[in-house]
Amino acid sequence: MIDFGFGLSRSSAVRLDEVDLTLYRKLEKLEPGVRTCMSCGSCTATCTAGPWSGMSVRKVILDLQRERASAEGHGEVRKMLSACMLCGKCSMVCPRGINTRHLILSLCRIYEEKK
Amino acid sequence: MDSQTVLIIGGGVAGMEAARQLRLLGCEPVIVEKSDHLGGHVAGWHKLFPDMLSASSLIERMSESLDGITVYLKTQVASMNRLKDGFSVMLTNGTGLLCRAVLIASGFRLFEASRKEEYGYGVYDRVITNSDLEYWFNTGEDDRIPDNLSNIAFVHCVGSRDLKAGNPQCSKVCCMTAVKQAIEMKERFPDAEIWCFYMDLRLFGKKYEDFYINAQRDYGVHFVRGRVSEVSEDIDGRVILKAEDTLAGRQVKLKADLLVLMAGMLCNEDTAGLASMVRAEVDSDGFLRSRDNIFRINESSRPGIFFAGACTGTKTVPETVAEARAAALDIRNYLNGND
Amino acid sequence: MRERFATGFDPFVLPFLVGMIFVLGYCAYGIFRILFQLSRQDRRKFLLSLITPSTALKNIWDIFANCLLHVKLWKRNRMLGFMHSSIAFGWFMIILLGHIEVMVYCPERVRLLYYPIFFNYFVAENESTIGGAVLFFLMDFFLLLILTGIALAMIKRVRSRIFGMRRTTRPSALDRVGLYSLWAIFPLRLLAESFTAHISGGSFLTIPANWVFRQFLGNDLNMLPTWWAYSIALGVFMCVLPFTRYMHIPAEMMLIPMRNAGLKIRHPRKGFAKVEVLSCPGCGVCIDACPMSVKKVNIKDCTVYLNRQIRRGNEKRIEEISDKCLLCGKCEAVCQVGVEGPKLRIAQRASRRYGLTPDYSGIDVAPLVAAAKGSKVLYFSGCMTRLTPSIGKAVTSLMHKAGVDFVWMDRDEGLCCGRPLLTAGRIDAAIGLIHKNEEIILSSGADTLVLSCPICYKIFTERYSLPGVRVVNYTDYFSELVEHGRLHLTKGDVCYVYHDPCELGRGCGIYDSPRKLIGQAAGIAEAPKTREESICCGGSLGSLTLDFSQREAMTRNALKNLYESRADAIATACPLCLTTFSRYSERPVRDLAEVLDASCSG
Repeated sequence: MIDFGFGLSRSSAVRLDEVDLTLYRKLEKLEPGVRTCMSCGSCTATCTAGPWSGMSVRKVILDLQRERASAEGHGEVRKMLSACMLCGKCSMVCPRGINTRHLILSLCRIYEEKK
Repeated sequence: MDSQTVLIIGGGVAGMEAARQLRLLGCEPVIVEKSDHLGGHVAGWHKLFPDMLSASSLIERMSESLDGITVYLKTQVASMNRLKDGFSVMLTNGTGLLCRAVLIASGFRLFEASRKEEYGYGVYDRVITNSDLEYWFNTGEDDRIPDNLSNIAFVHCVGSRDLKAGNPQCSKVCCMTAVKQAIEMKERFPDAEIWCFYMDLRLFGKKYEDFYINAQRDYGVHFVRGRVSEVSEDIDGRVILKAEDTLAGRQVKLKADLLVLMAGMLCNEDTAGLASMVRAEVDSDGFLRSRDNIFRINESSRPGIFFAGACTGTKTVPETVAEARAAALDIRNYLNGND
Repeated sequence: MRERFATGFDPFVLPFLVGMIFVLGYCAYGIFRILFQLSRQDRRKFLLSLITPSTALKNIWDIFANCLLHVKLWKRNRMLGFMHSSIAFGWFMIILLGHIEVMVYCPERVRLLYYPIFFNYFVAENESTIGGAVLFFLMDFFLLLILTGIALAMIKRVRSRIFGMRRTTRPSALDRVGLYSLWAIFPLRLLAESFTAHISGGSFLTIPANWVFRQFLGNDLNMLPTWWAYSIALGVFMCVLPFTRYMHIPAEMMLIPMRNAGLKIRHPRKGFAKVEVLSCPGCGVCIDACPMSVKKVNIKDCTVYLNRQIRRGNEKRIEEISDKCLLCGKCEAVCQVGVEGPKLRIAQRASRRYGLTPDYSGIDVAPLVAAAKGSKVLYFSGCMTRLTPSIGKAVTSLMHKAGVDFVWMDRDEGLCCGRPLLTAGRIDAAIGLIHKNEEIILSSGADTLVLSCPICYKIFTERYSLPGVRVVNYTDYFSELVEHGRLHLTKGDVCYVYHDPCELGRGCGIYDSPRKLIGQAAGIAEAPKTREESICCGGSLGSLTLDFSQREAMTRNALKNLYESRADAIATACPLCLTTFSRYSERPVRDLAEVLDASCSG
């Protein structure tokens, strides 16, 4: 067959009705505060690890909700989490009072169970 | 008790308008105001959205309509006791008063911006609040505002929607105020770039959206969706804001010549004390509890005690005026026994 | 003197013998197990310390002072001190005197375990001899001492408030068996000795009692049942001892020499940690001390319950208790045996398995090194201080006023000190950050590092290796600047009450320099609970699971203590305390640097 240089590419849209929320549900159980995130970005703005790694708690939560974190081998969330220094600034500034440090530690544990 | 005396606590927009209406309805209103002037917070404002009406002319007009009504300035309620069909009130100026009904129109207080330590209000020289800015519009006096400004930042939700600041509620008017002030600043400093940092833009009222569009289209105001989380000071005295542009998913920094904090609205601190004198209730949001929030916003759960304005929640000026009139009517009906 | 029984034996000693052999066997096994659990280095260190004369002497003295006399407890609470030392020291003296009696009168029986305990049954001595009179007097005296202690213990069970304890632990079922058998031992001994006093001799307590009993129970048949009862009480107590809190008696004798040898917790459950857990007497002093206990739901999360759950192996509860704690260290400060509640918890946290390991190797420190260059004095403000700009601004201003040429190394960006990771039990990750910061500081060419955050300061002094760099907390640094006349403080009118941050006070032992500085800059008052007893503000990063709303009650409780000083304002020396207190305080809260800056003309 002749290769014309383009193939079928899958849609990059997230099918919300088909999202696999297993990871997110586990996290909800360990840290119910995660549900109250309103994506204000305070945590990311203040993050000590942010400038070096792009760490963003907001993005981590959103990626979990949109399944972007659960696919095996998806490195983005893992990379962000492993950059965290647990300094606690994000939990200080969160207007919804989410215990972000516990959220991060809980996620790190969930990945252990997955292994 | 035959008297038709109604005590109005608070001489702001709500108290003044209620007094005027009550007199037209044949009652005898008495206003008690703790500060030395009528008009409350609005008296210190410059222009009111959405018509850019001059606040001082509005207050002036309202004050004129109060001619002949007893007003006690620099006075507060010392004690209030329920009688069989009214209240016996003692004021801090020594005056005793018998009245049939009480209208609480004690309004709100602005969130003390210095409590959000990370924004550096009171620490850095270039940080002011929305109310400071209005004062400057009026008087032109504020050393913190330099003559040349190239970047001006507005931070929404300072002390609103913030559990850490002790107020999880939206203050409702700050988004619109910020857009209004951004436009006013751009008119004064056409070369300056203006940045509004918001979590959600809540522009719900008549003509508010027009302001938003104007700000974008005609004034080029930048809207960044992200809450500023810390502010530091540069050696030249300018402030450096850190936020996340959540739409771009990037940490952003801005070196600004002026930072305006949109301080939110909280219930006045003496209101809870007033409420306890007549056993009116305080709601979970810190404001006074109405009988319900749909049909009887003006009524407390106690007979003869009525509310108007921002003592039951954040309100815009037109909402407050409308409530004051409604409260006057409610009181009139109550005095006539048509409850 | 004559022995009443040629065989020197009676079946009633059997319960005691069984108990004694069991408990000795159990302890011997336990000692070997624990020694085996220690690392080779630690074991060597420990065994060597036992034969080093100076530590051996210290061991003996510490055991005597703490296990028998309860010196620490006396200092804290005299009633409790008297209660414990009367029982412990009295019992010890009775056993010692029993052995002396055996050695003096029938040395050939010295190998029989039960002889010193039941001496008065087996040996008849006349108190008219000098030796008998003195020994019997002492025996009765110490028995009386113990009985007073037991009476106090009974009162304490019913009304702990009389002893100044608001709350105490709820004993488990076995603890109760141990407790009641312990209470029974000494009254039974009094009865047994009283019944035999006309044969075996006695003193001021036993002889009158004997006389009274003989008035209406004129029959020697009573004798044997009471000695049986006494022996059974002893036997029961010793048989349940390893499974009750009374295990702390032998365990503490092991803990003291191990601590003196310089051992540390290296495993969450084994070795030194095991000894600490077993040494917990379950007194519950840590409950009232714990800042979390202001809310009733948290009482079961105090250190005494951690120890209990570790002994039971209840993993779910161990995890909950370990993660909730603020790590303020107050339980350790008030603990009579020195159980290290915070370290024990960190060890539990460190044993947890995570699927993600932090990795900081990708961080390029070059821009941070560049930002740190240019002066001999470095100021490291730490992460939290970026949320409390007033501190950084005041420190900068003071430095300028003192004419110190310095560089604020993490003014723009910096790395975390590693202490939050360490307290979360992620020790390797913390070490990763420590190395990065060390690299930055050592390449900066500075010789002094000033820290204003006590959280950073603690880990900098304990874990960082910075040869040639002096690490100093800003309280000490500013004290020196004042002493050298580079900062001039004028006393203002405001009166401050100083709150000791956990990490600076109990954590690093800095109590005096901040007080002295504030005293020079303003008025100073003390809160009722202060210094080692200071109450955590509730904002601590030590807790992993306490969320924002759960902390409010703790903060308000800590503030209440500070309000009692009647000072106008609160001063502290930690950005986290500052933020946490400011949130709820009715009075102004200032950092030490702000207080100094306001009163310093430069």
